[in-house]
Amino acid sequence: MERGEYLVVMGLCLLITLPLELLLGARVWRRPRRLLVAMAPLVVAYSIWDIAMIAAGSWSYSDEKLTGILLPFEMPLEELVFFVVVPICGLLTLEAVGNVLTALGRLRAGEPVGRVLRDLPHGGGPRPAPAGSTGAEVA
Amino acid sequence: MGIYTLTALVSVVVVLAIELLWLRTGILRTWRYWLAMAIVMGFQVPVDGWLTKLSDPLVLYNEADMTGIRAPWDIPVEDFAFGFGMVTLAMVLWVHAGRREERRAGAGSGPATGTAGPRQEQRA
Repeated sequence: MERGEYLVVMGLCLLITLPLELLLGARVWRRPRRLLVAMAPLVVAYSIWDIAMIAAGSWSYSDEKLTGILLPFEMPLEELVFFVVVPICGLLTLEAVGNVLTALGRLRAGEPVGRVLRDLPHGGGPRPAPAGSTGAEVA
Repeated sequence: MGIYTLTALVSVVVVLAIELLWLRTGILRTWRYWLAMAIVMGFQVPVDGWLTKLSDPLVLYNEADMTGIRAPWDIPVEDFAFGFGMVTLAMVLWVHAGRREERRAGAGSGPATGTAGPRQEQRA
């Protein structure tokens, strides 16, 4: 556990945010192409910053708590994982919050609780199937 | 004050400039963004707190390169600028990528697929 501690923390972040995808319909993991397009520039930019800061001696990492696996330019594997995991947790939160707000709007508009809750794992908005219902005009 | 303080502040300015001057997703004017950021920053405290705790740190900082202000617990204040910028950038790029996908899909077929996204952004 010791040497994998940083990775365990990152794994817990993924685990704790998984219900946002599965129960609150975040649909982040289910859009891998869009996720890749969005994440790639961020991971590159923040890795460069990290590498520069490590080279400058601004920060370093515990030898006992990290696997010791180094990527090019002395960047610990854990840092790359961090730049992938933490932003994804943010995206899951953004989508889940959006869905909850949409659901609350539908409830305020008088839609039945059961239907709103049923739609939540699919994205919060009314699904196109029951066409013409009032839910479509939630503002 | 040091290189970490400086670059952390610059990162926030750059991210805000990317959103306001370039990609213009409008996400900063939405409730869902600010609520989500509040939740993310809330969860940053236990996670970052664990990584930076001085009693048994995973990440070690050169105190000369930062303000030295650590709170709550032993989290360098600079980390909050770092996290705010990084997660905001992720959200901006994500919404932007979604718009582009939608536009591309919309060019071919007519039905209102994924209208939920844009409509949410218009909410003040």
